Amino acid sequence: MLQYLLEALGVLWANKTRSFLTTLGLIIGVMAVIAIQILGSGMAGAVTGVLGAINDKSFSIFPNARQADFTRAAISVAEIDRATRTVPNLVAGIPLGSTTLEVRLGTAHAKLRLAAESDRRFITSPIRYGIGFTREQIAAGAHVCILLDTAAAKLQVDGDPVGRSIRAGDRRYTIVGVLAKSTSGIVPNVIQSDVLIPYTSYERDYARGRPVLGARFLVGDAGRLIDTENATLAYFTALKHGRALYQTIDRKTFASAVDGIFAGLTLIVALIGAVSLVVAGIGILNIMLVSVAERTREIGLRKAIGATRFQVLAQFFIEALLLSSIGCAMGLVLGLAIGAGVNEIALVQISGVVAPIPWLRSVLIATSFATIVTLVFGTYPAYRAAQLDPIEALRYE
Amino acid sequence: MNEAPRPVIVLREVTKTYALGEISVQALRGVSFRIAAGEYVAIMGPSGSGKSTLMNTLGCLDRPSTGSYELDGVDVGTLGDNALAAIRLKKLGFVFQGFNLLARTSALKNVALPLFYAGMPSRARNAAAADRLREVGLADRLDHKPNELSGGQQQRVAIARALVNDPAVVLADEPTGNLDSQTSEEIMALFEQLNAAGRTIIMVTHDEEVAAHAKRVIRVRDGLIVADERTAAAPIG
Ligand SMILES: Nc1ncnc2c1ncn2[C@@H]1O[C@H](COP(=O)(O)OP(=O)(O)O)[C@@H](O)[C@H]1O
Ligand SMILES: [Mg+2]
Repeated sequence: MLQYLLEALGVLWANKTRSFLTTLGLIIGVMAVIAIQILGSGMAGAVTGVLGAINDKSFSIFPNARQADFTRAAISVAEIDRATRTVPNLVAGIPLGSTTLEVRLGTAHAKLRLAAESDRRFITSPIRYGIGFTREQIAAGAHVCILLDTAAAKLQVDGDPVGRSIRAGDRRYTIVGVLAKSTSGIVPNVIQSDVLIPYTSYERDYARGRPVLGARFLVGDAGRLIDTENATLAYFTALKHGRALYQTIDRKTFASAVDGIFAGLTLIVALIGAVSLVVAGIGILNIMLVSVAERTREIGLRKAIGATRFQVLAQFFIEALLLSSIGCAMGLVLGLAIGAGVNEIALVQISGVVAPIPWLRSVLIATSFATIVTLVFGTYPAYRAAQLDPIEALRYE
Repeated sequence: MNEAPRPVIVLREVTKTYALGEISVQALRGVSFRIAAGEYVAIMGPSGSGKSTLMNTLGCLDRPSTGSYELDGVDVGTLGDNALAAIRLKKLGFVFQGFNLLARTSALKNVALPLFYAGMPSRARNAAAADRLREVGLADRLDHKPNELSGGQQQRVAIARALVNDPAVVLADEPTGNLDSQTSEEIMALFEQLNAAGRTIIMVTHDEEVAAHAKRVIRVRDGLIVADERTAAAPIG
């Protein structure tokens, strides 16, 4: 067997140019599939990373945009509070939305987005300095704040700033905590906030009884999340006398929407894969057939000096196998390089998420490419070669 | 020929008919002869007389339509494809008019090819091939590719390949057909030398001069043997 492999390698090496041209289609096909596939999982990783810092036990509720008068469905912070107390399993509720203000800390200043937070944390990025809000601070609507890493960076925070105050517009808030950059995600981009203040303070200082964009709730028992979402929907609908429509989004529904997008992407990759598989395979089939025709005399000679049909079949089959293995291996290496490169340049730079490269899947894809191409497109030329009549093959010009 | 040496080839009433649609062509119409070990036979005849068909039959590339063919004690007519391949591998050596060497492959590897199919390990293969190349006077050309060799040298490589499996019979179809007369002489000298060392050689040729090197000439015409005679080259006795 090894002998055959070496013999076939010798033949391929002796015909380097033709061998390379044969595998070109396969190299490009495998390369494209592997690269796209890596980018796909890089993007999936980035999106799941975003969700990573959002509390698993939370969900949001919005007025549904598809209703005649959507202002009828508007929610106020007082209503959010009431819902939190009334609906079983809800343990905290905050208004959605943010307000952008010029914020100062010492001599540093920046335009930052202020958003609401509760003593039960909705944003679970690790705490770098200080602590979260206390129940008392929430109850009192204290003038305190927590800086997200974006705010800390823009305000040039150097060391532990807990106890210092920021100035937002004409109000002051004492810093009680600083959050680290989420280890997995682009939270600030999604949460759309840089500075968190108690939702009670947010209501008093900015919302002031006006309707907010929507609400986010935390549940006590994550196992009853869906039921609680439905109960909350029912609560708000009843509150508006059945004349308003709401929708909820939780991590799962968001994740499944994202999954849907990636299922689509996977399908596209699979399609590209199938097409390039067929194209590359036909390329190999064609060149193998040309090679068999070109080498008719050689095959005749091999048979004349005593090669059996099986030996000729094995030789050409192994040549096809080697060609497709080499092509797929080269495609794999190039695809990994391109995929990882683009991933690094585009996705990691944008999202800050380093999605692991799917090595195993890439290798499996390349291997199955090689196997399928060999079996489907390598067998027939090998069979043709094996069936040649040595007398006619030797006479062939 | 009173001592009756061991026959390597025994043909009895061999015919070969090619069917070409409606009509059929009788390429061989009852050919019988024996060839003993150590003989050097030239087969001659006009074009289309059946020489190649006869050689293909002797070479186990084709089976006779009727009649029997015994090679080195084995009745070949009844064998299947794989058994025929094994016979070609072990008992026969082929030399062709067009050399038929593998391009872009060294002389050594070309000569070693039959041993590859015999399943010999690579080291032993190369050693045996190098020995044969030395025997045909190409000791310093082991790594040359066919396109780096002259016609005569290429034919020597082909002869080394035919000898590498130590065959019972060497079959050569017009081995000097592509060579100039000077080189032909060299190749004929090599065949004579091999025959002197005990090789059985059967050669098809057009050239009376070439045939004169053989010890026996069989003449065919229209698929029949018309003459079978010893030549002057044959030793008396
Ligand atoms: N494969 C074949 N099919 C049909 N006819 C053939 C075939 N091979 C040879 N013949 C015919 O058999 C006869 C003998 O051919 P061949 O043995 O090639 O003669 P030579 O080698 O003496 O020129 C010719 O008439 C040739 O046309
Ligand atoms: Mg002929």
